[in-house]
Amino acid sequence: MAIQVKEREHQDVETEQLMSGCEAIAEAIRLADVDVMAAYPIRPYDGVMQAAAKLIANGKMDVEYIVADGEHSQFEIVKHACAVGSRVFVGSSGVGWFYAFEAIAVTAGLRLPVVAICGNRALDDPGAFGTEHNDSLAVRDLGWLLPWAETAQEAMDLALMAWRVGEDKRVSLPVAIGLDGAFLTHSQQIVMVPTQAAVNKFLPKFDLGDRLLHPDNPITIAPQVDQDWLMEIRMQNDQAMRKAHDVITEAHADFKKLFGRGGDNPFLDEYMTDDAEFVFFGQGTLALPMKVAIRRLRKEGHKVGLVRLKWFRPFPTQEIVKSLSRFKAVGVIDRDYSFGSPYYGGVLYNEVRSALYSLDKRPTIVGFIAGLGGREIEQPMATDIFEKTKAAAGSIKSGDMTHWIGVRS
Amino acid sequence: MSDPKETSITVEVVYRGIFQKTLAQRICRSIVLAARKRGHTGTAFARYGDSPERNGVPAKQFAVVAINDLELEASMAKYEPAVVDVSIAVDDTLVKGVESWAWYGRQPIWKPVKKDGFVLVTSDKSPDDVLAQTDTAERPYSLVVVPGGASFAGLWVFKDDHTDYRVLGALAKIAPDWVRLDDVMALIKEQTKDESAVQSARYGYDAAKMRQVKAGEGTSGHEKLQFTKPGWTTMRTGIVVDARKPGERNPQYKKYTARTLRPVVNFDTCIKCTMCWLDCPDECFEVTPEGHYEVVYQACIGCGICAQVCPVKDCIVMVDELRFEDNEDKWQFWKKDRDGYNKWFEAKSGVSADPKVRTPAARQEGSGNANPSANPTSASGGDD
Amino acid sequence: MAVETHGTGTLPQIKGVKDVPYDELFVSGHRTCQGCESALVMRHMVKASGPRTIVLGSTGCMYVANTTYYTTPWVVPWMHTQLGASGSAALGTAAGLKVLMRKGKIKDEKINVIAFCGDGGGADMGLGAISATLTHKDYNCLVLLYDNESYANTDIQLSSQTPYGAVTTFSPSGSKKRLMHTRWKKNVPGMLAAGHPESRYIAAGCAAYAVDLMNKIRKALELGGPTFVHTLDPCPKGWDYHPQYSQELGHLAVECGIWPLYEVMDGVCNLTGPTRQIAEGRKKRKPVYEYLKRQGRFAHFADEDVEHFQHEVDKMWTEWLIPGVIPFTVPAKDQTILKIDKKPLHEQKTA
Repeated sequence: MAIQVKEREHQDVETEQLMSGCEAIAEAIRLADVDVMAAYPIRPYDGVMQAAAKLIANGKMDVEYIVADGEHSQFEIVKHACAVGSRVFVGSSGVGWFYAFEAIAVTAGLRLPVVAICGNRALDDPGAFGTEHNDSLAVRDLGWLLPWAETAQEAMDLALMAWRVGEDKRVSLPVAIGLDGAFLTHSQQIVMVPTQAAVNKFLPKFDLGDRLLHPDNPITIAPQVDQDWLMEIRMQNDQAMRKAHDVITEAHADFKKLFGRGGDNPFLDEYMTDDAEFVFFGQGTLALPMKVAIRRLRKEGHKVGLVRLKWFRPFPTQEIVKSLSRFKAVGVIDRDYSFGSPYYGGVLYNEVRSALYSLDKRPTIVGFIAGLGGREIEQPMATDIFEKTKAAAGSIKSGDMTHWIGVRS
Repeated sequence: MSDPKETSITVEVVYRGIFQKTLAQRICRSIVLAARKRGHTGTAFARYGDSPERNGVPAKQFAVVAINDLELEASMAKYEPAVVDVSIAVDDTLVKGVESWAWYGRQPIWKPVKKDGFVLVTSDKSPDDVLAQTDTAERPYSLVVVPGGASFAGLWVFKDDHTDYRVLGALAKIAPDWVRLDDVMALIKEQTKDESAVQSARYGYDAAKMRQVKAGEGTSGHEKLQFTKPGWTTMRTGIVVDARKPGERNPQYKKYTARTLRPVVNFDTCIKCTMCWLDCPDECFEVTPEGHYEVVYQACIGCGICAQVCPVKDCIVMVDELRFEDNEDKWQFWKKDRDGYNKWFEAKSGVSADPKVRTPAARQEGSGNANPSANPTSASGGDD
Repeated sequence: MAVETHGTGTLPQIKGVKDVPYDELFVSGHRTCQGCESALVMRHMVKASGPRTIVLGSTGCMYVANTTYYTTPWVVPWMHTQLGASGSAALGTAAGLKVLMRKGKIKDEKINVIAFCGDGGGADMGLGAISATLTHKDYNCLVLLYDNESYANTDIQLSSQTPYGAVTTFSPSGSKKRLMHTRWKKNVPGMLAAGHPESRYIAAGCAAYAVDLMNKIRKALELGGPTFVHTLDPCPKGWDYHPQYSQELGHLAVECGIWPLYEVMDGVCNLTGPTRQIAEGRKKRKPVYEYLKRQGRFAHFADEDVEHFQHEVDKMWTEWLIPGVIPFTVPAKDQTILKIDKKPLHEQKTA
């Protein structure tokens, strides 16, 4: 995570701090001058709310901090605060995220740029604290932008990006940042915290324009519609999601210019892929054990790399086509499940295969389900994934299957 | 008895929401069941966009009968049939136009009726009188009047006044290839075990009065209320619509086609107490410079609350909507010509404008349909 | 933190029908039933609050029937909220305005925030969120529950506010069961007043008493903090009576003692209108049969059902600590505890 100061336009001194992913997000809330946030306890996301509460109690930021009576209320409160022009923040995890589901759905329908984190957690029953991505992924069809962070630094950076992209009038959609429970929410890393002046340069003030709910701008928002109208409204959301791709690209370029971070590609982070024949593909913190494995496997002479997905929605189809078509085989590692899906694969597996379907020359795509419930992806498992991916290369059809990794029989 | 020339027939029942929901259901179901007796198949359904129904607001239900299941399928996939063979209006004030609570604008009663189709109306009036209040025809059709006032009831009770049997009898007269009188009578016999109900069907068959309507006949006096729907590129982002401006009423939904009775005001006896204005759920009253309250008929839905809360006897009288040709506000008329206005008031309402004159005759209550709670009812609701 | 209120005195009490504001902020061209009393509540609500008001409307008749896309009857800014979210909508809107004013991002002025819900949204699904909102004393917002005693929009299904025995589509009267619904109506304003001592204003009203209702709304908005008003709205569709009798049914509900009118203001309960007259013995309660017989939803009642209904209403007036408000009392032998020494602790003599 070296900061290459020379490449960075903004030369103000950043402060280096040791903080968890949750604390990094709390810092982003402070820097973004958030107006309203709503809290409700559930592990692991609520570390953010605890960290933010401390910042408020110590006078570090001025936010209406509302402790709600449940997740549904939490998300409704910020939705309505957003409609009157407040920059807002909210979050949840696992079944708490599902308790808020109605409010989550309507927020996207209303085109209100609420920024949330989903501290990814397995769904009940049985109760479990560890990470799985099914909570975030459940909203994949609704119009939420869904980035995933790998590190605490990236969590903070994505949060600042989230307000910038979500609030952009061309987009006007909510954003939910995926943060792997425990691995990211609760472990502390070195984070460079930018200065307020730099953030102000990157992040304009929130302006809803003529959609602001205020007596000076009398409007009616979301009257009941029937079949004569709904397709046009859905079409508007579809167009906004399409535009989000370009707005993310723009924001990423500005961010890189100002802070020198974020890599070359706004949507994909590639590791040792230049000469690779085989790659792992996934999102979030599972990149960490896979990178360790790649370094080990390369010592043994295998040409292997990693492609990490940074934005699941909008799904960067063209970038993925361009990247993955270079390889012989891709092992897609899902920290999620989609019972009964094509080839019983995870969500990422089927999305990636769909994206590559029309290519004349396409790699073999093999599905892996691993690390559910926060189970650690140990090195022998990584090796197993590699070997199965390599073995499938050469035949597209060999990828028509999904392997559960590290599961007892 | 001939075989049908077409492969299916579509009948719509246009009715007053809630008040006639059960009636419309019974008619549509019976059409299908009677047609079934001669080997046809069919389906009965309500327009989903009318649900949830609102008291008085026009709604539609449909019956489609076909010679076989394959022909029926072609009709079943439709949300709402665009063309019907027969339109049945079970309240004659519906001929002044139909504006459902979805955003369709005001439509002539014959709008979906195909060329040479039928508009069947239950009414105490003659076909000519009914036609005089019906929009100018764009294509020829037959107007059929089934004698009888509108049958109104509440949601939980059904006014079993044989309206449905008379309508079915009349339908058998105009669509004998699809619904035969014998089948209708047999069905009613099975359902009711009541010979008088069976005879009501025959009465409907015999007493239905038919009049051919040529294109161009009817009134051109009704307001056109039709809208062009914008597309996604011009609709505002975020499901936003402009608020109403102060002093404006909603120009895109006027609601007056829900009205079966309209309030007429005796401005001479008005004591300016404000109660009609205060208690109107539809904000229909305008205060005049003298402090009177005049009804804005474009906005009035005809609920009758104003007449009920008015402390002065016969100051506001509810009158059959079919007696009025226009929707103009009347205070200016009174202002310019009091005597003329009062004569008009008396002619319309049947009530003397002079409070010192007792009006012996019962006040006009439209077709006697004003008060469902006063109707004889059966608690079963008929919807089983 | 003290409650911040703006412009106290901008909403004076209305002295009589002639003093009711003429400006209409909820106009005709909505899609409610003939004789819809809830539509009248909407009209009175914004007449009372004035143009500097934001209204949040939760799903229900007053959403679906009032605001059909591409048109609206609202002059004031209006936004939909979810069925169970009226409390949260009020809170989020009020919090948003407050912080934006504090930070100087919008002009610092008094803007009324009113969220409405029906009995389904307020007394059933959204009760928890309303309760939470009533504890957030730093935010100025009013939750108005318009109670037409069923899920009237969806097809008249029973709610916790449907009266004992009434027919709904979820409680038809059949050959085996005359009464499908035998729960007594939940006492919502009483419960909320008892449970949220920091809410400065909680009231029960009825649009048949229009000035009383408008004044209750004004008091709620003037006193500030989170407040709550519950109105009983006769519903010609679900109650099954002719629309012209909406006002009369409202009067009867109050005069029969079924729907007491009251307000709890800064911890003091005042009965209002005919309810006060009944409690003071100046007016005799009418028998509930006068009310029940006017409505098709009670047409199936047998004598014993009417008697039970009367008995339960009688209890509200004879056995409750505060008639129609607090549904319990102390034992007869313990009446002295109602006369407890109310001086501050340090001024009390030791027992």
